[in-house]
Amino acid sequence: MNGTTRARLLFCATLALAAGGCAWDGPMSTLVARSDFARAIVHVYSIVTWTTGIIGVGVFVALFVVLVRYRARPGDSSLPRQLRGHTGLEIAWTIGPALALLIIAIPTIQVVFRTQSAATPADALLVHVRGWQWWWEFRYPQLDVVTANELHLPAGRRVVLRIDGPDVIHSFWIPHLGGKRDAIPGRVNQITLTPERPGEYWGQCAEFCGASHANMGMRAVVQTPADFERWVAQQRAAPAEPAGPAAAGKTVFAASACVGCHTIKGVSAGVLAPDLTHFGSRAMFGAGMWPTTPENVAEWVKDPQRLKPGVKMPSLGLTDEQAKAVAAYLVSLK
Amino acid sequence: MSVHRPASAYTVAPARASSPALSAVTSWLTTVDHKRIGILYGVTAFAFLLIGGLEALLIRTQLLRPHLGVVSAETYNGLFTMHGTTMVFLAVMPLNAAFFNYMIPLMIGARDVAFPRLNALSYWIFLAGGLFLNASFLVGTPPDVGWFGYANLTTRPFSPGPAVDFWMLALQVLGVSSIIASVNFIATILNMRAPGMTLMRMPLFVWMALVVQFLIVLAFPAVTVGLIFLLFDRFFGTHFYDVSAGADLHLWQHLFWIFGHPEVYILILPAFGIVSEVLPVFSRKPLFGAQVMIYSGILIGFFGFGVWSHHMFTVGMGPIADAAFAIGTMIIAIPTGVKIFNWLATMWGGRLRPTVAFHYAASLVALFTIGGLSGVMHASPPVDLQQHDSYFVVAHMHYVLIGGSLTGIFAALYYWWPKMTGRMLDERLGRVQFWLVAIGFNVAFFPQHFLGALGMPRRIYTYSVESGWGLWNLVSSLGAYVLGVGVVLFLVVAVRSLRAGATASADPWDGRTLEWRTSSPPPVHDFDAIPPVYGRDSFWREKHGDARGQKPAPHAERPDPHGIHLPSPSWWPLVIAVGIGMAAFGALYHLALVVIGAGVMVIGAFAFALEHHRNPAHLEQLGNLGVDHRKLAMWTFLGSECFLFGTLIATYLAYKGRSVVGPKPHEILNIPLTTLSTFDLLMSSLLMVLALAAVQRGDHRQSRIWLAGTALFGLIFLGFQAYEFTQFVHEGLTLQTNLFGSTFFVLTGFHGGHVTLGVIWLLALLVLDLRGRLGAPDATKVEVAGLYWHFVDVVWIVIFTVVYLIP
Repeated sequence: MNGTTRARLLFCATLALAAGGCAWDGPMSTLVARSDFARAIVHVYSIVTWTTGIIGVGVFVALFVVLVRYRARPGDSSLPRQLRGHTGLEIAWTIGPALALLIIAIPTIQVVFRTQSAATPADALLVHVRGWQWWWEFRYPQLDVVTANELHLPAGRRVVLRIDGPDVIHSFWIPHLGGKRDAIPGRVNQITLTPERPGEYWGQCAEFCGASHANMGMRAVVQTPADFERWVAQQRAAPAEPAGPAAAGKTVFAASACVGCHTIKGVSAGVLAPDLTHFGSRAMFGAGMWPTTPENVAEWVKDPQRLKPGVKMPSLGLTDEQAKAVAAYLVSLK
Repeated sequence: MSVHRPASAYTVAPARASSPALSAVTSWLTTVDHKRIGILYGVTAFAFLLIGGLEALLIRTQLLRPHLGVVSAETYNGLFTMHGTTMVFLAVMPLNAAFFNYMIPLMIGARDVAFPRLNALSYWIFLAGGLFLNASFLVGTPPDVGWFGYANLTTRPFSPGPAVDFWMLALQVLGVSSIIASVNFIATILNMRAPGMTLMRMPLFVWMALVVQFLIVLAFPAVTVGLIFLLFDRFFGTHFYDVSAGADLHLWQHLFWIFGHPEVYILILPAFGIVSEVLPVFSRKPLFGAQVMIYSGILIGFFGFGVWSHHMFTVGMGPIADAAFAIGTMIIAIPTGVKIFNWLATMWGGRLRPTVAFHYAASLVALFTIGGLSGVMHASPPVDLQQHDSYFVVAHMHYVLIGGSLTGIFAALYYWWPKMTGRMLDERLGRVQFWLVAIGFNVAFFPQHFLGALGMPRRIYTYSVESGWGLWNLVSSLGAYVLGVGVVLFLVVAVRSLRAGATASADPWDGRTLEWRTSSPPPVHDFDAIPPVYGRDSFWREKHGDARGQKPAPHAERPDPHGIHLPSPSWWPLVIAVGIGMAAFGALYHLALVVIGAGVMVIGAFAFALEHHRNPAHLEQLGNLGVDHRKLAMWTFLGSECFLFGTLIATYLAYKGRSVVGPKPHEILNIPLTTLSTFDLLMSSLLMVLALAAVQRGDHRQSRIWLAGTALFGLIFLGFQAYEFTQFVHEGLTLQTNLFGSTFFVLTGFHGGHVTLGVIWLLALLVLDLRGRLGAPDATKVEVAGLYWHFVDVVWIVIFTVVYLIP
């Protein structure tokens, strides 16, 4: 760490401690709402925080007063008044908190029922979310689009996410878009929401799911309806035929174990790993881990085990040449 | 087992005094003295606390900055799993048990617990379980699925190695230890109070301990059953957590949290009890609203059973269940709030003496308020959807478990240390220790609220720079180191006190309860004469009088007319625990070791049971409730068994019709045959009644006939079951066939196992009878066996109805 970063860190720490917190708008912040669902939650969140906060401050003030005021004076061995209880007071501080809880309970119940409606609006965009060890699959059955780790949504349209998974339990969570829902094999869970503003929002698996639980990120890309339409058209089109080193990469890909698990339309039809038909169109790969550059991808296909603990993709024993060619091919798949 | 009631007509010299040949080591290995067992629990648990703390510091070091590689992902997953499991089962629970053991008999004016040897047994089993769990480090495969071990990540296909086996077997072993200890404490508290110590006069610590024992007895069966399913899935190929066979993964989560949420109160209520003792003493005022404090503790325990699903708001239970569990959870905040306010009122108007014990107790009031209020926050399902499995929950839970439980335990250590060791702790160094713990803890965990709000998930071994979590992780880790130094500093404080601490008087704090009425440390027999009880805070009344200063007329000293009986040391608890430990290792390495371990356990159990057979000092064990200790213990145990079978039966019903392949129940169940075996088992209960009556009359001819008859009918039932199982296997239904096979064989098989145990028990009684060693004075032993036998029969009626009769 050099001098300036250290100084900046120190400054930020001091500021943070003084102000009670630094920035609240990190990429995973639960306090930033970019959908109706997230806004409903933040509404309850703030009621709950204020109510409990005020009670907490009250208790702390009372405790502070007691500790200062009733500290025994040295040498004073007299006994205080031996008060054993006071029914009125005790009834009061049973009823008081009960009323405070009503302040929390009423909006809570309203939002629970409002946000968990099982009905699917007819015009909603349907996305089938599947949590795999350790990546996310997004299928758009109405649009015949399949992609991984990058969830594209149109702003202003109702979206129904149907969530499950083929292996162990995961949890789908993109904080700016709302609360999490578990992806449980053998059940289908649902989130209904309307994204409100174009932007790129981070997400991450929230249920411990094995070795690379920490490496199971995703991005939601909320677009204007026009941009979304363009994206859909691009995803539905066949990728361009590769040329140059990318063409050699296609040959390596088609001849190696890749085809057993990955789908590239027209090349392979594997179903156990991310669909790579438009791999190059995704900004990140490896479940939100690295930017999709030829160098990063080459390193990955050579030895994925080293980069992502426990990953199901085996090391393929590619030479440097082959790895570079495959990377060039994959990145070309826009 | 000991008798302390004046009614006991036998005099036995204190056992330890009569065996000077025992070396110091063997005297500890064979001890049945509740005080020594308390110390064993305390020292062992503190060692595990340090191990769990070391794991925590490694975790915090890995998270110090983004992208650190101090440990690998796999190691990190092992560390947080072992940290959680260790702190819950090997540190906080047994530290609480240390004080239960040492203090409960002293506080209720007894000379030991109801079953001193069972007490030793639960300690040694706990030690075996703890060592077994940590042995996983030695073979390089620590459990790595989280302390909550969500299925199906724990099943063979996703966790093939021995790591999960270590975790699953260790939890089972520790569960056995907890149940035994709880049955013992319930009998002790209800049955062994000094004359005049009515329930409502019991100290709050004893009350909270009593609630905790009921929680343990009733909550552990759910996770026991969940772990049995996991064990069968992993070892015998059943399908309880196999989605492709139709299993529902909510099952484990329900079973785990039906246990797991009461477990929170198991961990925290003792601390509430401790604070309710410490604050009045150092405020020199009675506890404010003691009755309300008792009732609120009971209510917390009771509601604690009805809110487990608030751990499951993200699994998709639907809005109605979410709303119901949210309201239930919020209601718990009411009795908890009452406790906080009553503690404040206790200190209000007092003369606060700021000892270290008081520092810890007062800081619990503050820190638990934070932990309790953040708990109210995620009682609201919408908020929980953002906070669940994020660092917000990590912060909340540590405010409850360190700010609550561990702070309470430190308060207890500083408060009762002089009583336990006869030495004072250094108050000045103690204050330094307190402030290191308090500051370190808050710096470590308060920022984790911010991390949670910023969306940092739990259980991740690394994070990116762009996440924005770097700063608060850095602060949190630095705080954790300070906390670590604070905890270790207690060792220094303790060793200095043991080496050169000032001598403690019997009553150094001007205490209120009976433990301060005997010497520090107390004599082997606790009290020279059973202490008189004048009311709540009896000892205070004796010294200072009641609210108006009126002192009670002193009771006449009543030395026991027949001398003091103390239980003799025993090797058998240790032997049984060694057998259990061997069997657990055998399950991982070799079947032969399982057989040897089970053999050692059975031999140990028989020797244990017969060690004091017909010892005149053990004949009568009547207590305050007018019931024999052994009967009270059996009733308690059967209560636990009800929950065990209830869970098994509920699972059978939940999985009914979910099998994806046949055979189905109605295609295979032989109702006429089972009706016959059911009739046979019911008749055996009749014979059992006759046998007990004959033993009570001292009619040996009849008692032998009916005991043999009951056992025979039991054997016939088992024969029917063996025939039925064989038929099913021939017709293509095994444990592995489908969900019906898995649930059917495990449920009826467990019942069959209970019948087998009952038959062995009856045959043992029969052999005693045939050898002329079972007469009218031993009727209670037959009665206890009978209670168990009747219970097993009743369970069968339920199983017969649910499995066979209801289509």
